[in-house]
Formats: sequence, structure tokens, C-alpha cells
Amino acid sequence: MPSLLLNIGFGFYFLSVILYAAGLFFAKKILTVLARFSTICGILGITFYLGIRWHLAARPPFSNMFESLVVLGWAVAIVSVFIEIKYEIRSIAVGASLISLLAIGYASLLDKEIAPLMPALRSNWLTIHVLTCFIGYAALTVAFISSALLLFKKKEDEGLDIISYKMITFGFLFLTLGIITGSVWANSAWGTYWSWDPKETWSLITWFIYAIYLHVRFTKKWKGKMAARISVLGFLAMIFTYFGVNYLLKGLHSYGG
Amino acid sequence: MAIITLLSLIGTFIPQNESPAFYIEKIGHMGYSVLSKMGLSSLYSSWWFILFLILLSLNLTVCLLNRLPLKVRSLGTFIAHLSILVILFGAFIGIVYGEKGLIKIGKAEEISSFMSKGRPVDLGFSIRLDDFIYNEHIDPKEKLLVQPAAGKEDEVIAEIPTEVGTELNITDTGYKIKILRYLNDFAMDTATKVALNRSAAPNNPAIEAELKDKDGKTAKFWIFARFPDMHQKTDPNFKFIYRWVGRRPKDFISKVAILRGTREITRKNIRVNEPLSFGGYKFFQSTYDTETLGWSGLQVVSDPGVPVVYAGFLLLIAGVIIIFYVNPVIKRR
Repeated sequence: MPSLLLNIGFGFYFLSVILYAAGLFFAKKILTVLARFSTICGILGITFYLGIRWHLAARPPFSNMFESLVVLGWAVAIVSVFIEIKYEIRSIAVGASLISLLAIGYASLLDKEIAPLMPALRSNWLTIHVLTCFIGYAALTVAFISSALLLFKKKEDEGLDIISYKMITFGFLFLTLGIITGSVWANSAWGTYWSWDPKETWSLITWFIYAIYLHVRFTKKWKGKMAARISVLGFLAMIFTYFGVNYLLKGLHSYGG
Repeated sequence: MAIITLLSLIGTFIPQNESPAFYIEKIGHMGYSVLSKMGLSSLYSSWWFILFLILLSLNLTVCLLNRLPLKVRSLGTFIAHLSILVILFGAFIGIVYGEKGLIKIGKAEEISSFMSKGRPVDLGFSIRLDDFIYNEHIDPKEKLLVQPAAGKEDEVIAEIPTEVGTELNITDTGYKIKILRYLNDFAMDTATKVALNRSAAPNNPAIEAELKDKDGKTAKFWIFARFPDMHQKTDPNFKFIYRWVGRRPKDFISKVAILRGTREITRKNIRVNEPLSFGGYKFFQSTYDTETLGWSGLQVVSDPGVPVVYAGFLLLIAGVIIIFYVNPVIKRR
């Protein structure tokens, strides 16, 4: 039953990608409306999946790579559908729903078994920390798509630039919250709020890159493609924080792999 | 002035940004060797890293002073940058006035001081370990299979759960089996002939069982998951197979008491995520004796900088919210 919901979510996301992409080529409003509907159905499917898993496991479903990918696929879709409805830029929606689809698809290749939570993770901070981080990740992912599209275009595009910027401010706030909640949690679990663990260090590097983005934007008035390059760089650092650290480096977060 | 401020501001971000990256490269070289979670790696306490932090602080201070007198419009940025200084200041307090050390405390042992920064620190009270408990999640598929000695290979008479203390009849054979002990990594002390855990890694999972026959005669023996043919001669009627699936830690609990002199003040169970606070110190469950569970490793911390760091965190959140969500609203009016 739960797996079925995950597959339904995957199916709807797949449909969204196609419908949004079709909407790009044939400027028919109906395609976009259907795509939105499909994305929302997908989000609902994943929401129920996470809810049931939470209930079955009797703990928040945020403890390993599989679960976090599902959360990522869920959060990116939510942010993307919201942005698409507000700004009606379909190209971003194609990219974002593709990333959601890939996250869910990759997740379904991993071990779905519900494992008991290790003692270090048994804390209320788990939910707060993971949710703030992933809301941040989702917003920064949409910012990346927007920036990457901007870099592919021949001319500057103010719409894409503004979305990048808005998503980065939002994502930066949640990245900050994610790092702070992680730090407070670490202090209550281990007695150290910062221990230069690879994941911590990389999250700080990511944070610095986005801080630079904001600084050059505010003070040097960098916009458009110049700023978009930093956004892409920040996203790469974020991806490394999320995946690379788990697979390549060992530390406090190594259960994530 | 603005340009100088901006340039220096950007300037500090670049070395700041590279120093952790530099370190990551080093981690790459050392590969998996960097394991220790509390180990402040030497690079982060190296003079050049500290120097960058001091430069950043100085730079931030200059930027903040440049913003004075404060305008409403720049309140958010002021708070956000001030917060970084507050956090660094809190960390500095922690480094100077904080104490941190690991105590290895044996069962029934009483400890009243610990080593921090290379010298002993007196707690002003003592802590005694009454018991250390380590529990594991056992996969429901993990079973001790009982087979007839002379039967088909896959014939199973009974599947016994492997939780320590389980006692069950082997169907209607009149035999009883009891699970006595579990070891992740079985090893035999050659001198004393005592079985012990060599490490916390499941290299050689084994359980000790006791078989009681119809007449009440008992026999104890070990069964090894990885060496099914190696168990000691037990009973001519049965063969035992230990189907091990993989266990996960469930709980690490140090049952401790706090004493002043001989008077017991309080008792508490320290778990991961549930430290004990007493007399300005916090005790965290950190490590344990993987061989015999004879001692518990508690991290002892006193860090007066933490409230300052937390205040910095709150300022940072407030600052970022003001910059991105309050200022635009004000501007629009």
C-alpha cells in the first residue's frame, strides 16, 4: 500500500514533466492547468506516503538517504508548483518537476526498509532540522534551475533573475535555520554546537557562497548572468553537502548514506 | 568609504570561504581516517585559521562601525552582521573559559575530576556509575534454528527468538533452550577462557545458549552466525543454526548518581540526546566499553559561551528575516 502511493506520486510527477514540457511548445493554457493538477496529485500521493510511513515506523520518516530523497522530491515539487502558479514560468516548472521526478526515482532504487532509529537521531530536533534544511534545499534547487536557464539564454531575462533572487533569499533563511537547528541539536546531543564535521563544514561553505551571492547583489549590484553563476556554484556546493559528504567523507552524518 | 567597506567585506569572505574548503581537501587525503566526532581537527585550531577568524571579526567590526549612526533601513543588515560577531565572541568565550573532557567511568566507580586542556579540573561533586545498559534492536527475522541432527538439510524443528533471556521448549521434544548471552564480535580470552566482545563491529556474532534435557541436565554452548559448523558438541539429537540478520543500537543508558561527599543528591539516566546537567557541567553519553560493557564514556562539558552563541543565532535569524521580509514591506509603503 505505501509503495503504491510512492509509485502514484512518481507517475504524476512524470506526467507533470511531460505536460509542462508540452505547454512550452504548444501555448495552450489547458496543458499548464493539467500539469499543475498532476503535480498537486503527485504531492498529495507523496504526502500520504510520508504520513503512512511516519505512522508505521512510529517516528519521523527523515532518517536515511531514501527517506530524505522522498522529502526532497516532495519539497521541490511544492515550491515549484507555488512559483509556477505565481509567476507562470513553465520552463522552471519543467526543470523542477524533472528534479522531483529524479529524486523519487532514485529513492525508489534504494532500500525502502523501515529501520529503527539510531539513538543519536531520536530527538524532536530531527523533524525541525530536516524540514528546515529541506525547505531550504527545495528553494535553492528552484533558484538553481532558474539561474541555469538564465545562463542558457542568449539575453538577460529579468523574470528568471528575480525568481533566482527570491528563491535564494527564502532558501538562505531556511539554510540558516537548518544550520542553527543542527547546531543546537548537536549541542544537546554531544555537548558541542560545532565540531567541523564534513557535513557541517560543507553546509557552511554552501552558506558562504549564497552569502556572497547576496552581498554582491546588494553592494555591487550584480544581477542576471553574473549573479546566476554564483547561484549555480552554491547549488553544486549544496549537492555536495547533501550527497557527496555522505558517500565520500565520513562523519557525524554518515548514517545518511 | 562604501567601496572600501564593500571590498574588504568581500575580501574577508574569500579567505573565509577557502579555509574550510582547504580542510576538506585534507580530509579527502586522509580518507576515512577522520572519524572522531569530538576531535577538533588541528587545522581548525591552526594559527592561520584563527587568524582568518580574527580578520573576519575585525572586518565585521569596521563594517558595523561604518554603519553608525544606524538608519532604520539598515537595521536588518546591522543585526545580521552583528550576530556573526556575537557567535564568534561566544565561541571565543567557550575556548577561553569552557572546559571539556571525556571520562571513562567504570561500574560502581566514583569520579570527581576530569582532564581538560591537559590539566585536571575538579567538579566540586562526584559522579558514580551504577549501571551501564546497552540495548539493540533485533530484527524479527533473526532466529536460532533448531534442526534434527540426522535430517534433511533444510528441516527446521523450531525457530527460537534470540533475545537474551528467552526460554522456550523445543516443540514437544522435552528439551528446553534458553538464550544466555549475545556477542557482536566473539573472542575468547586465552588466559582466562572468558568470552568477550572484541569490538562493537559485528565481525563474529555469536549467542550462548543453554540446553536442558528431559532429566534437567544442562549444557551451555556458543553458536556462531558466520561459522555454522563450529559450535561445540552439544546434544546428539540437534543441530543449531544461528540466523543472524544485523542488529542496530537501540539505547545507551548510563545510570548515574551525583554525590557530595557521601550524600547522594540525585540519580539520573544519561542517554544520547538526554544529558545530565549539574553544577554548571553537562554529562553526555559519548562512548562505552564495547568489550564487556564495563565502563561508560561520558563527555563532560562546561561552556559559558553557549548562551552568547545562541543569542547570536537568534540575532542572525532576526536579521535575515528583517532584511528579506520586513524591509521590502517598509520600502513598499
